[in-house]
Amino acid sequence: METIVLAGVPINKIPIRRLLFSKTMLVAYVLLALALFGIYELFALRYMSGAVGAHAAGIDPTAPGLREAMSQAVFGTVGEITRTQPWTLLIANYMYMIYTGSGVIFLVALAEMAHFHIVGKAAAGFMVAGVALIFAGLFTIATDLNMLNMHWMLLTPNFSAGMWLMLPLYCTYIPFVFFEIYLLLTNKRDWARRLALPILVLSIGVDLIEYYIQAKLFSMNTARHLWTEFPLLTFYFIISAFVTSLGVMGINTFLVHRHKPEYESLMNRIRQAMLFFVFILGLYEIVGYMTVDKDWAFLILFGPFSVVYFAGYIFLTLALPFLFILKPGKPILTVFASLCVLVGGFFGRYLFVYGGNANPMSNRFGTGYERYDFYSVAESFHYVAPHLGEILIVVGSVGVAMIIYKLFDGLFSVGNFREHY
Amino acid sequence: MNYAMALEYQNCINCQACEVACKQENGVQLGADKQRIWVGMVEGTIFGRPYANIYPSQCNHCLEAPCVSVCPTKASHYGEGGIVKVNPKQCILCKGCMEACPYDARFVDDTRVVIDKCTFCDHRIAETGTTACQATCPTKVRTFGDLDDENSDLVKLLKTRRFFVQKEHIGTVPKLFYLLPEDEAYAKQSLAHTTDIHTWEEIKPHYDEARNRRSKEWKR
Repeated sequence: METIVLAGVPINKIPIRRLLFSKTMLVAYVLLALALFGIYELFALRYMSGAVGAHAAGIDPTAPGLREAMSQAVFGTVGEITRTQPWTLLIANYMYMIYTGSGVIFLVALAEMAHFHIVGKAAAGFMVAGVALIFAGLFTIATDLNMLNMHWMLLTPNFSAGMWLMLPLYCTYIPFVFFEIYLLLTNKRDWARRLALPILVLSIGVDLIEYYIQAKLFSMNTARHLWTEFPLLTFYFIISAFVTSLGVMGINTFLVHRHKPEYESLMNRIRQAMLFFVFILGLYEIVGYMTVDKDWAFLILFGPFSVVYFAGYIFLTLALPFLFILKPGKPILTVFASLCVLVGGFFGRYLFVYGGNANPMSNRFGTGYERYDFYSVAESFHYVAPHLGEILIVVGSVGVAMIIYKLFDGLFSVGNFREHY
Repeated sequence: MNYAMALEYQNCINCQACEVACKQENGVQLGADKQRIWVGMVEGTIFGRPYANIYPSQCNHCLEAPCVSVCPTKASHYGEGGIVKVNPKQCILCKGCMEACPYDARFVDDTRVVIDKCTFCDHRIAETGTTACQATCPTKVRTFGDLDDENSDLVKLLKTRRFFVQKEHIGTVPKLFYLLPEDEAYAKQSLAHTTDIHTWEEIKPHYDEARNRRSKEWKR
């Protein structure tokens, strides 16, 4: 394809129609449309649902909000959010996307430094996929906020708050990754390798600082947030993210490189790495995740989440992929394993957020855990199924990642192998 | 001024008039889980002897409020007299404060799509000198007042009684003081063994220090 060169980067002179209306883009638009519908649902729930204050109810006893309040009093909680369910599918997806995206970038940077040439050839595409996932995660979390008041983030910022602490981190990390992609696209391989180390540090830094901020934010709360109580769980986030990252790389390799001669060797490298991290994750499940807290283990193993844990997480993230990738030679099995870990990894995040919320936690004095006992899990569970709007936004976030990747690919051909060794 | 409240919690008869008064006074969203103040109950047995303690509670208006620290837009802030408040116009509903609050004193107000919480009825302090919950309580559980005023009913009460605060170990310096009843030994049976019991003279320097440290942020 004809290109123009800008700052050393060859940019494809691709027709707008081909750039924006390819088959992949059309699929992504459908997903994005679902997300927009989800956002509409969320807005309807937030700004148009029946809810009323004491004064308004007194003025108009026929107010629909009064009916909602009565039904809440009789049948339980309604409305957007309750104390027992503050975190939702959007948080699960945010954590999934952010950690997976930064995991992809970390692994590619590591491969660069370790001179895995076959991964290096496809590094630009993988890096873009990683960044696309990070943006998809940020898209998800943005919808969780009251967007009408977001301008106050800039008008009256509290720079010491956790959310603001994350911003400079992303403002450093994402440009670094973009610069690395620039170096890869302009064939400055030596510089790209030099930059791999800071990116490696920043990738892991994002995970650790995110963890630190969560811990700082919630350190005074009771243990709904297990990771603030048990620092060992940080490694769960990181190791499981590596497994799903390799799933992303496997799917990306299958979709983009399957007709190329290097396909098998690249897939084999991904298979080896996945086998290693699945093994490590399996070990961690035994020595870390399950021993961190006996009540948490009880909740997961025998509580209402046992099906999600065994069928969704253990089977799909560990057992089935392990069987698929144990034996070398058939790349298609690595593709199946990649699909499994992507789905299973999401179940893992879902389990963590919803399982954590399911503890009968309320800090209200006299109504919370002290009423029974710390983690008195058998008393009651608070499970609120995700709202349709949330599900659609999560599905749509995949579309966001696809659009970003395809735009990069259309303009810079990041899906091509780069032969400059 | 440094507003606070003492609670004669063993006087509480769980009539929940305070909850209703709060909703009416402040127009709080209707709903069972939408409360600025609440009455909690802890039940159990000690060597086979049953007990039930009733704990009226609300925002502790901490001197070192974690909810204020985590707010990215400064919507959560200290108002006059150290009252912890939320400016609804600035709230982006990140729920960080809800999560950070060790006392679970905040909730989402669906009518305004913002976080809501107790304000110590600050709109009526100048006129009536007290809160709606205190004014309504039939058994005089609550005593609202100014910790800076040595002659206030609150300080006079604290000087004569022993009390505890919630989750003292996390350093929030809360301003809800739970007064121990006369039968202190019986009351202690239903308190955690880690709960420290204080006198005003002993704890005052600590509160003064926290006040001096954070009062620059208080809006007037």
